[in-house]
Amino acid sequence: MKLSHFFRVLYITILSFVFCAFKTLAVENIDERVKNLTLELRCMTCQNQSIYDSDAEFSNDIKKIVKQKLQEGESERDIKKFLVERYGEYILFRPLMNYNNIFLWSFPFILLIIGLFFVLIKTKTKKA
Amino acid sequence: MSSLVGFLSLVFAIGINFYLFLSRYIFKFQKQKFNLFIRFSSLLTLLSFFSLMYAYVVSDFSNYNVFQNSHSNKPLIYKISGTWGNHEGSMLLWLSILSIFSFFFSFTKNIEDNFQKLTLIIQAFLHILFGLFIVFTSNPFLVNSILVNEGLGLNPILQDPGLAVHPPILYAGYVGYSIVFSIAIAGLFQNTDDEWLYVAKKWSLISWTFLTGGIALGSYWAYYELGWGGWWFWDPVENISLMPWIAGLALVHSLMMVRGEQAIKKWIVFLSILCFSLSVFGTFLVRSGILTSVHSFAADASRGIFILLIFFIVTGFGFLVFLLKEPKKSNALNLLFINKVSALVINNILMIIATLTILLGTIYPIIIEVLYNKRISVGGPYFNSTVIPIMIPGFLLMSIAPILSWQTNKINNSKKYVLAFIILSILVLIQSYFLDFNTWGFVGLLLGFWIILASIIAIFSSYKIKINIKFFKIINPHVAHIGVGIAIVGITCSSVFQNELDFNLSEGDKFNINGKTVLFEKIETTNEINFQSLRGKFLFDIEKNQSKEIEAGKNYYPVSKMITSEAGILHQWNKDIYFILGDQKNNEWFVKVLINPFVSFIWLGVVIMMYSGLIAVSRR
Repeated sequence: MKLSHFFRVLYITILSFVFCAFKTLAVENIDERVKNLTLELRCMTCQNQSIYDSDAEFSNDIKKIVKQKLQEGESERDIKKFLVERYGEYILFRPLMNYNNIFLWSFPFILLIIGLFFVLIKTKTKKA
Repeated sequence: MSSLVGFLSLVFAIGINFYLFLSRYIFKFQKQKFNLFIRFSSLLTLLSFFSLMYAYVVSDFSNYNVFQNSHSNKPLIYKISGTWGNHEGSMLLWLSILSIFSFFFSFTKNIEDNFQKLTLIIQAFLHILFGLFIVFTSNPFLVNSILVNEGLGLNPILQDPGLAVHPPILYAGYVGYSIVFSIAIAGLFQNTDDEWLYVAKKWSLISWTFLTGGIALGSYWAYYELGWGGWWFWDPVENISLMPWIAGLALVHSLMMVRGEQAIKKWIVFLSILCFSLSVFGTFLVRSGILTSVHSFAADASRGIFILLIFFIVTGFGFLVFLLKEPKKSNALNLLFINKVSALVINNILMIIATLTILLGTIYPIIIEVLYNKRISVGGPYFNSTVIPIMIPGFLLMSIAPILSWQTNKINNSKKYVLAFIILSILVLIQSYFLDFNTWGFVGLLLGFWIILASIIAIFSSYKIKINIKFFKIINPHVAHIGVGIAIVGITCSSVFQNELDFNLSEGDKFNINGKTVLFEKIETTNEINFQSLRGKFLFDIEKNQSKEIEAGKNYYPVSKMITSEAGILHQWNKDIYFILGDQKNNEWFVKVLINPFVSFIWLGVVIMMYSGLIAVSRR
């Protein structure tokens, strides 16, 4: 078997399994959602620690606020926006995907595409 | 007195290196004499380092550096490690390791005389740069202008056996790339045969192995000393060590292509320069204090600028030579889709993208702060959603890459692998249904186990099994990849399937962890030599006769008025149970228990990778 076919098989398998995975993703409960959100927030009074991991007073307050807002039905986006207005973008461990950060977010994938092109152009598809 | 000896020998060593550097142009030396001078200057640098260490051991507070960073009632080991527990001392350690590498390199045989000499001259040049940096901006031998009989003490968080050995090992990795850098530059100048590629491979493997050990020690320290329950935080300082590590891994792999006579010399030289540049850049970022905030730069301006200058000289010089002195044209690559050559090329491309992404993510907040005066964070979530997806094709490739052929794009026994992969996928999927489902967990486990499984199949179906050294050398690439697979499994489990339990307990309470009863015995306070400790004592699994005792608590260091948390960890082969003692409220203690499955796999994987690194050094 040709190796490219071989890897195609592997890739399709892994993708279809991941697809199944997304399908079966259960509805998260509120604590789970609090966890996922607070993991991406910086504890402003600690050294590079997430709010979820930290037990500082600041973090416990934010955890409470986040939980309350989620219970009131606010979306994660609204909560982040609220926190950014209050504490600045520094609180977000995941930088906003907006116009300002377009370079940050696209850079790796642009490199990936360039790399892919390079490999495709340089390789001979037929047996040498 | 020892400070004077140290300072003089340092200056003398720099002088010798200067003389040797000039010898390329003015005084011609014979090889023997030249090597003797190199070794002599190395020994002088070491003498300087050890005299600083001596000052620390005897608590000689007439040395300003010792006064600032030591205290007479520290245990001996932390007096010794205090030598590099500060900026000045750690730079002297850096220089000493550079000297050690030059020292050993001067003994290399099977290498052209002129080539060796040129490499050592470049090393001498680096020695001068960093030596002058120490003398002018970070002199550890300054005299204390006031008479004191007690020092200010070492940061308590550094008073830990893991962190005592972490810097020398990590530096051995960083600085090891200096010799790879010098070899590559010398290779460009001399450009005779390909022998230097083998030499470069050996040294880059040695550096990479040290760097792996250093990073692992650092993250193990973070795991049990910081008491946050994790071991990797995408902290800027961690990222900095990861960059030369990944670039070095790319270098090691592209040097493998020498064996298939497919080496792309230009690329190898580029990577060699990149690795050392990243090491120096990392030193600059950490040492200038630029990382915590752009503004603290002012405090250390001269140091930061000096290292930045060294960085520009080294990188600029390296890449300039690289552009001017193009290596001889290599043979055209036999790139097929997919054979071993293209697999290695893809691997290199992915690793470089990962390195550059980490670099961008690390310096991006600095750039934004300088440009817009706005503080933003680029943390774990960014790296997790860029670096990891980019690496996934690489992880798939590495499962069988070592048995790919140089010439054709066919693979034997492919049905076996495909079948194994599908069965494995189903098993992992079933397993995921029983545990709480998580996409990352699924992908990580599948990849990790697939790498292990495919490597084992490859070993058994491609080689005759023999138990001798030669056999272990042949299967070494597979072993290294099994190590990576094991580490991936450990990383996935411990980060995705971590479980947290919170308790509020009074002394004597019993509580339940995974069906085992745990007794919160008592709170105990003691006075140690240099700190006071507060410990919560727990008895794990009291129903059994051999219940295990766990202590978690805090230490208070009066000299520096700092509190450190001391996690209590119960190691089991399949999980760590991690106790954190919180604060007391209404006579109840807050106790956080984290269950980290398969953490031990991470360290096991790392040990296997380091073992393979060492084995590969001995393989041509």
